[in-house]
Amino acid sequence: MLQDDSPDASEQSSINKKSNKSETVDLTDNSLVVDISDALSEKDKVKFTVHTRTTLPEFAKTDFLVVRQHEEFVWLHDRFEENEEYAGYIIPPVPPRPDFDASREKLHKLGEGEGTMTKEEFAKMKQELEAEYLATFKKTVAMHEVFLIRLANHPIFRNDHFFRVFLEYDQDLCVRSKNKKELFEGLVKSFSKTSDELLLSATQKDNDDFFEKEKDFLLEYHSHLRDATAKADKMTSRHQDVADSYIKISTGLNQLATSDHPELEKFFTKVSDTFEKARKLEGRVASDEDLKLSDTLRYYMRDSFAAKQLLYRRLRCLADYEQANKNLDKARTKNKDIHAAQEVIDAELAQQQACDKFEQISIKAKEELVEFKKRRVVAFRKNLVEVAELEIKHSKAQVQLLKNCLESLKEEME
Amino acid sequence: MEESEGDHPPEMQQVSLDHNDDLFQSALQEEAPLDNNSDIFAEESVTSDPTGQAPIQQSGVPTSLPSSRMHRVTTAELQQHGANGDDQYVRVSITEPQKMGEGMGAYMAYRVSTQTNMQFYKKSNFSVYRRFSDFLGLHDKLTEKYLRSGRIIPPAPEKSMIGSTKIKMSNQSDQGASADFIERRRAALERFINRTANHPILRVDPDFRDFLESELELPKATNTSALSGAGVIRLFNKVGETVNKITYKMDESDSWFEEKVQQVENLDAQLKNMLTRVEALVYQRRELSQCTASFGKSVAMLSNCDEHNSLSRALSQLAEVEERVEHVYAEQCNADFGILCELLKDYVALVGAIKDVFHERVKVYQNWQHAQVVLNKKREAKAKFEIMGRTDKINQANDEVVEWESKVERGQEEFENISRMIKKELERFELVRIQEFKVTLINYIESLMQNQQQLIQIWESFLPEAKAIA
Repeated sequence: MLQDDSPDASEQSSINKKSNKSETVDLTDNSLVVDISDALSEKDKVKFTVHTRTTLPEFAKTDFLVVRQHEEFVWLHDRFEENEEYAGYIIPPVPPRPDFDASREKLHKLGEGEGTMTKEEFAKMKQELEAEYLATFKKTVAMHEVFLIRLANHPIFRNDHFFRVFLEYDQDLCVRSKNKKELFEGLVKSFSKTSDELLLSATQKDNDDFFEKEKDFLLEYHSHLRDATAKADKMTSRHQDVADSYIKISTGLNQLATSDHPELEKFFTKVSDTFEKARKLEGRVASDEDLKLSDTLRYYMRDSFAAKQLLYRRLRCLADYEQANKNLDKARTKNKDIHAAQEVIDAELAQQQACDKFEQISIKAKEELVEFKKRRVVAFRKNLVEVAELEIKHSKAQVQLLKNCLESLKEEME
Repeated sequence: MEESEGDHPPEMQQVSLDHNDDLFQSALQEEAPLDNNSDIFAEESVTSDPTGQAPIQQSGVPTSLPSSRMHRVTTAELQQHGANGDDQYVRVSITEPQKMGEGMGAYMAYRVSTQTNMQFYKKSNFSVYRRFSDFLGLHDKLTEKYLRSGRIIPPAPEKSMIGSTKIKMSNQSDQGASADFIERRRAALERFINRTANHPILRVDPDFRDFLESELELPKATNTSALSGAGVIRLFNKVGETVNKITYKMDESDSWFEEKVQQVENLDAQLKNMLTRVEALVYQRRELSQCTASFGKSVAMLSNCDEHNSLSRALSQLAEVEERVEHVYAEQCNADFGILCELLKDYVALVGAIKDVFHERVKVYQNWQHAQVVLNKKREAKAKFEIMGRTDKINQANDEVVEWESKVERGQEEFENISRMIKKELERFELVRIQEFKVTLINYIESLMQNQQQLIQIWESFLPEAKAIA
């Protein structure tokens, strides 16, 4: 995930960032390195500059850029999802749509309330909101980047034809976002898929203990992750609110300082100053918690969903296999007097294929799920350690700040 | 003669304290004229400067005027009891809130414990039990006695229908609903009494002393009940007052007052503004606290279903961390409210008391002006009679003129006195306020710091757990 280094307050919301690889990067293999080197936020959309460096012969060039929008990422994800060859893999979850609605609304509200606050206060709140906007922006860039990196590092996915097109093709992929009909169809499909899922989980007896356990685990795990993600988001958002309310206290104290008894002026000014600095720290705590805790939970919520999809595909395979078995039996019964009946041969072939497919998918899925679990342990460890370290760092900074304030206030008392 | 800072009270003058005649002496305090360069603190040693830098002088003991019915404290008594210097104290703590009685007649009683080294009080350590209406009654009595002369009377906590209903309704087992309210009220009562106990004149008022030390139950202050007949009358009077405040425009000749009135208005607005902001902070922090608790619980759920041992353990530790963090936030919230909010609220109320005293002065002025108007009329009447040669009416008219002349004189004197007193009170008020604000802000910053230190501890204890994930 992207480190939250302090943004420079520039008007245009584009960043030139130094890349920061995720934990899935294989540092020794530089044959295909993908990153998002730039991003531009325009009115309604974000334009990502996808940068590729490669030594692979399949690509026309060794170092090139294309510009992609969010819909094109979704397109790419869908190509992977629907590819039967990848049925046994966990498909990296598509990054969430860039969502600046919350930030925009806050900015709008601030604009409306401009008349009720001092210039200083307005400037501070605006600055804070712009920082928030920038943080959201950086996050969405990071999430899109992680998606691509995961694909680029995957031994199978990196060779996918559509992936190459995505990276290389310098024109728009002409992906129009789904129109209403398609969206509705998609919705119906996902409904029926879920009920299918339930059906399958109920009727399909899985003789493989491992997968039974996995299914139970993932169902529960995903649900808790979803809950934890939502609660984490609420918490960090509230934390940001507390930081924002410090601004008002700070400016209020400033007003008191200038208009009240001169003997209190220094006091109020110092405390106001402290609040201003403290709110920056509180803001950092909020955003670090967001990046390390919330986003980790969010990512694994998506990833565990992708894992569930994998299980579902496997169960479908199993269902198909069992169906093929039944068909074979039927064909055999029907043709028991006929030697080498075509129907039987066909059925045998179909059954063999279904069996192979099922076994392959099972082997692959097992690997993937074990990988998934390892991956999450590593990710959680990294982020929990980082969040703890950052919390300690920020609290220490605040203690120092408050100590300094107390010292100078106590001096004033003498 | 400077106040010695030893631990024994300064030398008393010869007048004995228990003689009732002393208590009935003069109503007016400032007979001794203030010369231009006399120390503002000369008469009462008002300073509360902790370093005791302001020199405390004692002016000559004024002679007393003919008695009045009120037992108000005289400057003479003040000097007898010692000036309001660093070594004279009356400290009160309010504890043990208990519910007395049942049903609609139920009320809260509080233990009022006093520590003092002032000779004015019978003992140095004592306590009594008082109910809420007793406090209100005390405030009313003090207002009755001292407002007219220009004193700023610390306001008592407000009556709250909701709060008192909570008390009446709660039974023995269910203390939760009213516990918060009771604690806040207890703290507010404590601040009210101590502010009064800090006032050089009010603290040696006999009614105040009775409140603190008399073992007898105080006469039920029925006048304070919101629904009583007296309460209704008070309401009417208040309305009348408000109309008066709006309609009467005093001809202000004193620029000091012009400026001060404006300053007080300004301070009022600023304090209210600050209060809103702090209340917003309290709200946000409370929300944050709740969300943190909620998040912690969901992490615990996550930990339960995770099969990876060390990760599960770390997550359950994280859940605990969030729970502890929530407590820290809740503590901070209490500090935000208890330290900052309550300070601001108290001062908004105190500014109200100042405005009251300003208004008293206006009334005194009105009084004086009215007397002047009547006097003029009487003079005119007398002159008319003289012209008309109505010797039968002239004597009476003359008497009336004399009567009103002295009323005008008294009116003017009263006005000058109250103006002078208010100046003094405001100077003292500012000093106390400055001190209190400083101390409170320091307390608040300290609370912030302590809570942050707790957070450090909490996260530091978690870090090795996170690192232990294998």
